[in-house]
Amino acid sequence: MPRRVAALLLLVVGSAFGATGPEVLHTRCLQCHNADTAMSELRLDSRDGALAGGKRGAAVVPGSPDSSLLFRAVSHQAEPHMPPTGKLDAAEIAVLRDWIAAGAKWDAAAISAAPRSEWWAFQAPEAPAVPEVAGVSHPVDAFVAAKLAEQGLQPAPPADRRTLIRRATFDLHGLPASYDETKAFESDPAGDDEAWKALVEKLLASERYGEKWGRHWLDLVRYGDTSGFEQDPYNLEAWRYRDYVIDSFNQDKPYDRFVKEQLAGDEIWPEDPAARTGTGYYRVNANRDMLFKVEEQNRYEKLADYVDTTSKVFLALTVGCARCHDHKFDPIPQKDFYRMQAIFAPAVNDRVFLEYNSARFYDLAWNTRDFKLRNIADHLRAIYRPYEKKLRDEKLRTLPDGAQVIEAFETAKEKRSPEQEELVTENEELAKVGDDEVRAAMSASDAEQLDALERRLVSLFKGYGPPNMAPGVIDVGRESPRTYLAIRGNPEAPGEEVGPGYLTALGGGDIPDPPLHVQTTYRRKHLAEWIARPENPLTARVMVNRIWQFHFGEGLVETPSDFGTRATRVSNRELLDWLAVQFVESGWSVKAMHRLIMSSETYRRSSVAPAGAAEKDPANRYLSHFNRRRLQAEEIRDATLFASGKLNLEMGGEPVVVPLDQEELYGITGTPSDRWVVTWDPKQHTRRSVYLLQRRAFQHPMFQVFDAPDGMTTCERRNESTTAPQSLTLLNSRFMVDQSQALADEAPTVEQAWRMSFGRDPRPEEKAAAQSFLSAQQKRLGDAERARAELARSLLNSNEFLYVD
Amino acid sequence: MNRRNFLLKTGAGFGAVALADLLAAASSNPLASKQPHQAAKAKAVIYLFMHGGVSHVDTFDYKPELQKRSGQPLSVELAKTIKTSFIHDPTKAILRGSPWEFKPGGRSGLLVSDLYPHLRERADDLAVIRSCHSNIFDHAPAIYHVSSGSQFPGRPCLGSWVTYGLGTENQNLPAFVVMSDGSTKSGPPAYSAGFLPAVYQGTVFRGGENPILHLRNPVGVTDDAQKATLDFVNQLDQRHLAARGEDSTLEARIAAYELAYRMQAEAPEAVDLAGESEATKKLYGIDDPKTEDFGRKCLLARRLVERGVRFIQLYSGTNVGDDWDDAHNDLIGSHVKMAGKTDKPIAGLLADLEAHGLLDSTLVIWGGEFGRTPLAQGANGRDHHPYGFSMWMAGAGVQGGRAIGATDDFGVHAAEEKVDAHDVNATILRLLGLDHERLTYLYQGRDQSLTDVHGQGEFTAKLVS
Repeated sequence: MPRRVAALLLLVVGSAFGATGPEVLHTRCLQCHNADTAMSELRLDSRDGALAGGKRGAAVVPGSPDSSLLFRAVSHQAEPHMPPTGKLDAAEIAVLRDWIAAGAKWDAAAISAAPRSEWWAFQAPEAPAVPEVAGVSHPVDAFVAAKLAEQGLQPAPPADRRTLIRRATFDLHGLPASYDETKAFESDPAGDDEAWKALVEKLLASERYGEKWGRHWLDLVRYGDTSGFEQDPYNLEAWRYRDYVIDSFNQDKPYDRFVKEQLAGDEIWPEDPAARTGTGYYRVNANRDMLFKVEEQNRYEKLADYVDTTSKVFLALTVGCARCHDHKFDPIPQKDFYRMQAIFAPAVNDRVFLEYNSARFYDLAWNTRDFKLRNIADHLRAIYRPYEKKLRDEKLRTLPDGAQVIEAFETAKEKRSPEQEELVTENEELAKVGDDEVRAAMSASDAEQLDALERRLVSLFKGYGPPNMAPGVIDVGRESPRTYLAIRGNPEAPGEEVGPGYLTALGGGDIPDPPLHVQTTYRRKHLAEWIARPENPLTARVMVNRIWQFHFGEGLVETPSDFGTRATRVSNRELLDWLAVQFVESGWSVKAMHRLIMSSETYRRSSVAPAGAAEKDPANRYLSHFNRRRLQAEEIRDATLFASGKLNLEMGGEPVVVPLDQEELYGITGTPSDRWVVTWDPKQHTRRSVYLLQRRAFQHPMFQVFDAPDGMTTCERRNESTTAPQSLTLLNSRFMVDQSQALADEAPTVEQAWRMSFGRDPRPEEKAAAQSFLSAQQKRLGDAERARAELARSLLNSNEFLYVD
Repeated sequence: MNRRNFLLKTGAGFGAVALADLLAAASSNPLASKQPHQAAKAKAVIYLFMHGGVSHVDTFDYKPELQKRSGQPLSVELAKTIKTSFIHDPTKAILRGSPWEFKPGGRSGLLVSDLYPHLRERADDLAVIRSCHSNIFDHAPAIYHVSSGSQFPGRPCLGSWVTYGLGTENQNLPAFVVMSDGSTKSGPPAYSAGFLPAVYQGTVFRGGENPILHLRNPVGVTDDAQKATLDFVNQLDQRHLAARGEDSTLEARIAAYELAYRMQAEAPEAVDLAGESEATKKLYGIDDPKTEDFGRKCLLARRLVERGVRFIQLYSGTNVGDDWDDAHNDLIGSHVKMAGKTDKPIAGLLADLEAHGLLDSTLVIWGGEFGRTPLAQGANGRDHHPYGFSMWMAGAGVQGGRAIGATDDFGVHAAEEKVDAHDVNATILRLLGLDHERLTYLYQGRDQSLTDVHGQGEFTAKLVS
């Protein structure tokens, strides 16, 4: 029997047969105000607790409901209104009033039902019946139609095929449909439904799909290729996780498996490197270990990031808000934050060996090479030193106090007097000896030795490449460091010790100790399995809502990473629940969800608002029409390269660094030649944007200006801003100018330019306008080729290029 | 009505539209000038950020006891309360008195060291806050903390919050301008909009006549050709829009191109100092190679304020060259050099703002991420020091010629009227008429703010009365 019904029965029975105040407290309040969690320091599990009250003072004044804070809070006469998940029924409030009035007597024996929270998102979804709507056969459309009817809205007509193929290709691939693909789809003799279905299948089967949908996931898990802060060092193998994500979407890895691999691949599948690569989830964040001398704080911040990101991404709960105090709106006591933190406490960084062809914990090739390198370096120093010293001294000797300066340089740094140190600082520039100077001075025999060393050195690097390993985590062992509740969120003020456990709002419970035979705590394994079980009320809902959001621009719940009690903007909960149930039944197949959603008429509607929609539903929450959208940062770059014919579709591998102008690199921390090491092979510069290096302390200017996330915290939804600097970027940046030129070269005629930019032929009036533009620009610029580049630049700046209907 | 006007007129070509119509077209223009929560003292802010760490005990916080005890160690108890980055063990380090003399300046007699002779003459403008404190002793996190309230990058900075709260008065220039010496220790996250829309991000002004990234026409494209291309884009967009009915987003994009066009025209004018008199340039030290660079930036800051720009963040110091932080090994050399580059320009800025009647409405802030320890690092240096340090504010009704708060006898800890970064930021917002508790943005389930749950030590009253 579902809990809701049981409770209702209890209530009915209770009020009929005299339900007591303690029973109401038990079922409705105890989830947060029990002995263990005691939110606001209030316990309602005993008469003493109720009388003693919490932070706000006594909860119950026997005999006087109106002066009892408990009654005033539940009847919404005083703040805080309780429970936060929704007002009690009038009958329950009456029971509490009468109970207090009668002296608040306590009979524990009568209590039997389990504490519960009424908030919808904390109850498992049950597939609602699909509404019966005349003429509507697709369940998604039926749910949408029911809402449209309620709101008095008419749906827009279907979009034409050209609009549809552009929409679907950007949606699933992040790229435009080519002219030929568009033509083929438009002239497909199959019926609309059939042709559409075939198109969606084709798009889903392509590996471009994983690159687009993997990018959505990378936003969520705050992915970056560097660690942040002043030095912003490379996280050299982070890309292994990026490729893992893309690959997981391409193979349609069941979502429950995807969750488990990321949270606890090492504990669940310790012998499967592919699964363990998922734990890169913990390693592709901004590295909170970067600060020095504050190791305890670093560790605490790292764990806080794990709690915050994990609860938001997988459960859409803002557990991070309970770090310093009980959650202000949701039944998440501060203790829950630390129970969850305890789950991650034993995790430490690890290297996942992708193949076991080398000795465990060593990459033999690297290991051997490094040993040889040290030997070579030692030899190099021995050859160089005498020349360096000789040449340096020759320079310093020209100084009036040359002998003293030389002596200062000769003295070990820690033994120098302040005066000597000053001499060294003053003459450092002069004392520098360049490589060329040394070589010029070198004897033939030394030069020969150097030559041999150089050969050895180069030969060592012939087979050099990234090591066959990915960043991941494992537990330190079966014993975890202890976790303490941090008072007011300050790790230096530890409170009571806290063990690992599940969120109270979702039923709570402790995570047991691991079995004796394992060398890990299994804490993350338990968490992963608890999140990825079909009964978890949030997991499937949260993911289908994200899928919906990425298709339509807005989720059915409009706060995709917050399903707590502030998630009040829910446009169609029935549809959400129905989809969540379908998702689990499909075996957690994300591609099945695409098929289901994209086969609806709702997805295929025109983006032109039907009459009345703008007034009645300006934000289009009920989806009378499709939402037009601007291309995202990466899509703009990729579509530009697609139009110019330069897009390189090579997949995966180390991050690519594209050339930027000096003015674009302005403000980068450190030396550009260290921080922005341009990939040597120009063919790589036109790879898809998902493969470009993502620095944390320096964003690619074009991505920054078009609202790409910075990888600092989880990003569930990008802004879609419209600014003048965006226009300047598209008009004048070197990248756009180069690609305009490339497009003009590739497409010398107006027809061709139109086809490559927009996937269609120009209409006669457009062609005429373009021709007159070309001839006028030719006059101004004195050159037909440059005029064509201007036409190309115009097309790449137009709204038709930048927006998807 | 205005929107229709705009769309009709854009047919006439770029630059032909009235600004009012243009802004109405960008109907939800996020940078439209907004009313503050309450009466404001300041309309604009110039934040002079001396990044790298300026020594407080050598500039604005005179410590006679430190001079007396120079060469002796700190008490062990006191030394144990601080962390340093390069001094291995503060209990074994010795105190170092300031090599500079402090002298009274202005009618107020506020003590300023010989590092800042020109600023000392403006002492009556300066309200020095001597009791700033935090416990973050590494550059990047400390800069993020001062700028955004969090030592982790990713949150919106003060300038972004201010432009979010107030918009700007000149749509043809960026609302929030950043100028640096090139490389900084924190990189762009220090002037990032974080989770606020990208439109509130600081726009970096580069040197030269094209201050804004991608402001220049592509090589070989003349102004008339650029305008023709923009007009053609507009033509394409009008046709595209006509086929789709009303769409405020598409209209806003059309308006953004118009704004970009205007920016291309106005920004080079704003940064062109040719029209400024020789006397003015001299005032900023532009005639002297030592002060020329920072002087130009300060003069530019005044020109931007004049043109309605809301927030200007001006960094002194880099990560690879001219660096306050060279004080690790060379206190005297680094501070003589960096103060020498900035003293006259800053004093000139205060005088010039006053002469232009702008000082009353412009808040000038001087500060950094932390001070430097009263202890000696090695033979010639001072290490980082966040536990007590100084900043000052001037203009915008701030009563100068005085110091607020104090550090202990040695300049180690803030001791009286302590203020942290949140208190300072809350105060800056209040001077702009913004209530730090009401300036919020809903993000990830919370009404986020610059000061979070902090900022109770907001001290505007002490500054303005």
